[in-house]
Amino acid sequence: MTWNTIEQDPLQQTYDAVVVGSGATGGWAAKQLAEAGLKVVLLEAGRAVSPTEFTEHTPAYQLKYRDHSPEIARTRPIQKQCYACMEYNYEWFVNDLENPYSTPPDKPFTWQRLRVLGGRSLVWGRQSYRLSDNDFKAAGRDGYDVDWPISYADLAPYYDIVEKYVGITGAAEGNEMLPDGQFLPPMKMSCGEVLLRDRVKAKFGRTVTIGRAAVLTQNHNGRLACHYCGPCERGCRTFSYFSSPFTTVADAQNSGNCTLITNAVVSHVNMDNATNKANGVTYVDRLTRQVKEVRGKSVILCAQALESTRILLNSSTREYPRGLANSSGALGHYLMDHVVGGGASGHLPDMKVRPDANEPQRPNGIYVPRFRNTPSSKKHSQFIRGYGYQGEGSAEFNFSAEGYGTSFKGAVKEGVYSIGLGAFGESLARWDNYIEIDSSLKDAWGIPALRIVMSHGDNEAALMDDAAAQAAEMLEAAGAKDIKVQAHVEVPGMAIHELGTARMGNDPKKFVLNAFNQTHDVKNLFVMDGASFVSSACQNPTLTMMAITVRACTHLTDRFKKGEV
Amino acid sequence: MAQTTAAQNPAQGSELTPAQRGVDASKDLAAPGWKPLFLDEHQNETLIVLSDLIIPATDTPGAKEALVNRYIDLVLAADTHENQKAFLNNLGYLDGESIRRYKAAFRYLSREDQDDLLHALAYPNGGSEWTGEPLNDPGHMHFEQLKTRIGFAYYSSQIGTRELGWDGNFTHGVYQGCNHPEGNHK
Repeated sequence: MTWNTIEQDPLQQTYDAVVVGSGATGGWAAKQLAEAGLKVVLLEAGRAVSPTEFTEHTPAYQLKYRDHSPEIARTRPIQKQCYACMEYNYEWFVNDLENPYSTPPDKPFTWQRLRVLGGRSLVWGRQSYRLSDNDFKAAGRDGYDVDWPISYADLAPYYDIVEKYVGITGAAEGNEMLPDGQFLPPMKMSCGEVLLRDRVKAKFGRTVTIGRAAVLTQNHNGRLACHYCGPCERGCRTFSYFSSPFTTVADAQNSGNCTLITNAVVSHVNMDNATNKANGVTYVDRLTRQVKEVRGKSVILCAQALESTRILLNSSTREYPRGLANSSGALGHYLMDHVVGGGASGHLPDMKVRPDANEPQRPNGIYVPRFRNTPSSKKHSQFIRGYGYQGEGSAEFNFSAEGYGTSFKGAVKEGVYSIGLGAFGESLARWDNYIEIDSSLKDAWGIPALRIVMSHGDNEAALMDDAAAQAAEMLEAAGAKDIKVQAHVEVPGMAIHELGTARMGNDPKKFVLNAFNQTHDVKNLFVMDGASFVSSACQNPTLTMMAITVRACTHLTDRFKKGEV
Repeated sequence: MAQTTAAQNPAQGSELTPAQRGVDASKDLAAPGWKPLFLDEHQNETLIVLSDLIIPATDTPGAKEALVNRYIDLVLAADTHENQKAFLNNLGYLDGESIRRYKAAFRYLSREDQDDLLHALAYPNGGSEWTGEPLNDPGHMHFEQLKTRIGFAYYSSQIGTRELGWDGNFTHGVYQGCNHPEGNHK
């Protein structure tokens, strides 16, 4: 097959909007635009997904290898680094043999992703936190890099829209670093977590709050409340955690204005060079390998930060030789992923709670908002920006009890009360962290693959050192024993919070996108996903990506109404 | 909203995991005529004896009844050469020590001698929680590696899941968390 044998899609028509990707942001784009009356085509590289394939109620002993399947090791050696890639569901994750990428030998990057309707929204960690102006305007405060072209006030109404629809459980705290939102009732903390919260507040004045998660604690928008079975990442037959196929994508389809095409692996955006406008995309049918074209009046990339930028880099024209919409030269640069690897864990021997295999499983943890370099704390001498923690405290079976025999068997059930905090730190935006096309590497569909060049720097290492020391001190304050401290820097990609590579900003000479996710160079071409982020902050980014998408779609819809597209 | 509209065009069987296709493999290991795929007869018999000493039958079944040896054999057969070799080294160390101390392979020892040897490996001299002196006992390391595999194989089995008290249901109401009065978590 060659690039030139383009077969015309018999269903071809010119859509108002071509949306590439059906995950958290693509689902929102399709819903917002279709419900506004635009004719939308939604392209997904993977297959459709059905609730009949959910395995959240399959016990591990029904798996042949009980999660040690050699098939995962063979086909998903990279994907299995994600805890959610399991013998239950590994087919949702990309086959690494079909989806290669390269890195320099001394700069490993782990890229974990799904190609199936809904993308990573099927298996995401569901933690949902707002950014604040301490993030959007961070450069103005510490002088590093640049501010976002939008402020918290610009985004707040869209956070509201997204949260009300998605359903976010959480507790309002009035914390200056973590704006409150539209919350469903919070989940409860365990005894150990309550103890930690109270001691940390008393000794350090810091906030420990219950996680804010896209999981329903009451029936909401036609979906049922969580039944606390535990493993959301295997699917949810009550649709209690937010995933796009059963919410936004379903809404888009029900509007009558959205055509879904699955198995459409988009290779590049097509341009009308005479008018300098995008006029659609070309894709390879994942199963038949036929090359097809979809035409549209606007093109919206929601393919995941690196994939959206890969599509642009693979869409070079004579006018845009370094990648489409890349007159700034910034496309591909400023790749970020939260730094992880710092934290601590220990035991709370005073907690006389035994583990219970029949306790409802809470799909959420606790969260410690950033307390370093805040408006009310003094500037830290070792690093700029900061980190937040996710954590958990619970009674667990003690599988590593000492000895053997009857006493070992008893000690396992006696259990141990564990508590831990793991940090997510800000990843500074740096020109030197970038992606480009590897001219010697193609995926299974013949599409040129990425070379990813990223490493964390001194600031990230200093964040993890401090996060480890502070976690240990806070656990100690709660009375923890046997404290183990981890202060390393994980391989980039490990947080699965890839951001940047098509950053937004007002100056077309320096930025790829404007403040409404529109490329400066091509007025009907948009990137609405994590690629648009200017800085990473330290909060889990999906909620912000969705809010940015809804804001950008509102702007695009207005322009359509005015006849500007 | 209609939550099933996205479910057109269901996946081809080959793109679903066995679990997503509804395959239940929990009875496979109990199939009549079972033979080890990786272990030889002596290794398999040794593993049965060892696993049942580490997790014996009490008022609940032990490792032998949970077919721990068969699960470990299945995983080893598909494992890397490196991991296979490491396991055989663990098992070989046990027999080596047994022959050195008692002049017979582990599975042939009296129950008393087996217990003596395991006790020595499980609770070695040396190392100190007081001084922080590291424990660096090869016998203990081999023992712990075997125990880890045996423990996982047992507690991930249907028998092991029952041993932990699971009632077989996936819903147990709403997570309750801490309901204790302020500051009292006893």
